[in-house]
Amino acid sequence: MSVTTLTSGVSWPGIRPWLGTLVRLGLAAVWLFAGAAKVGDLAGSGRAVNAYQVMPFEVAKVIGAALPFVEIALGVLLVVGLATRAAAAISAALLLVFIAGISSAWARGLSIDCGCFGSGGQLAAGQSPSYAPEIARDIGFLVLAAFLLVWPRTRLSIDRWLEGTNE
Amino acid sequence: MSKRQERKSAAKVVRKQLAAERRRKRTMWVSIAAVAVLVIAGLIGWGVYQSQRSDTGPLVAPASATTTTGETVGSGPVSIRIYEDFLCPFCRQLESTAGPAINDLVSQNKVTVTYNTVAFLDRASTTEYSTRSAAAAGCAADGGKFKEFHDALYAQQPAEGSAGLSNQQMIDIGTGLGLNGDTFGSCVNSGRYQPWVASVTEAASRAGVTATPTVLVNDQVIQNPTPDAIVAAVNAA
Repeated sequence: MSVTTLTSGVSWPGIRPWLGTLVRLGLAAVWLFAGAAKVGDLAGSGRAVNAYQVMPFEVAKVIGAALPFVEIALGVLLVVGLATRAAAAISAALLLVFIAGISSAWARGLSIDCGCFGSGGQLAAGQSPSYAPEIARDIGFLVLAAFLLVWPRTRLSIDRWLEGTNE
Repeated sequence: MSKRQERKSAAKVVRKQLAAERRRKRTMWVSIAAVAVLVIAGLIGWGVYQSQRSDTGPLVAPASATTTTGETVGSGPVSIRIYEDFLCPFCRQLESTAGPAINDLVSQNKVTVTYNTVAFLDRASTTEYSTRSAAAAGCAADGGKFKEFHDALYAQQPAEGSAGLSNQQMIDIGTGLGLNGDTFGSCVNSGRYQPWVASVTEAASRAGVTATPTVLVNDQVIQNPTPDAIVAAVNAA
């Protein structure tokens, strides 16, 4: 294995941890942007959750206020590479919930914005919802999360540093 | 293999197993800590939201409004409820197309119009213009000039993404309409009706309103609120 790495310079086991770092930072950016876009208007975030009409308004307000902070915390965990597999698993679970929510809004014929990156869940008059691109985008993010779930060991991570200290 | 060698390799296996066990435990605790961090982050979010709500002052409604609904104009038997945001371009379009027809219905004493001036678009200006303008309209209602001020704000609607009109610009518009500069000015500057705007906005969301403008005639949503559609719905009611 090490011989291959030395001779060719690029091998899957050689580049995978670095590719993993890129994936981790990419997914981190998604969460940080999504959280930052919503954190300035927590009431609006609650309205965006309520627009899906899947839970009582009071519950939607709690979810809406908590979600941006959870997203930012997830982003920070991924940036520093701490508990990467757990963060990837939670990311995947959240994304599946989002995809299910958008799909159900689509199936019920609701006319809403997904509110994924702010914007409060309401569409301007005359603007039609873009459910398919929103779902496609979330599936793309889900692929990133799945990569880290399968291969959580990445370079430049606290996980790797912890690994080194105990052996 | 000698007895000694066997013992040695057995010890090696045990050491490896112990190391693997340590790794497994460490990963578990790190994961638990990460989940705890996320839960705490969520609780902080809820706490921040609660403190933001209590920071904004007492909830009082302006003249001709309630704590959860907007200013009313007219006193006719049929109700028109309009949900609009002073920053929303389609609301301005609604005002310029259907506004005159609605004014006629008011003057014929056919309808009571409730203008729920909500702040859906606070993030679409750099100064929360939606909240500030709707609160200023409440101040204008206290001075008996709600509709005039409302129309003037739509006539001078700022672009989305801009800073919006400043408080001073809105005060100038108000005094130009004959509002008292001192009482109207201090009402606008103190943001007296900002908690009311938040309350009306929340009530709109609770009622399932997800877009501005939304027009309801006797609680029925008019899907495409053209002047004709609104007049027809009022006459049919």
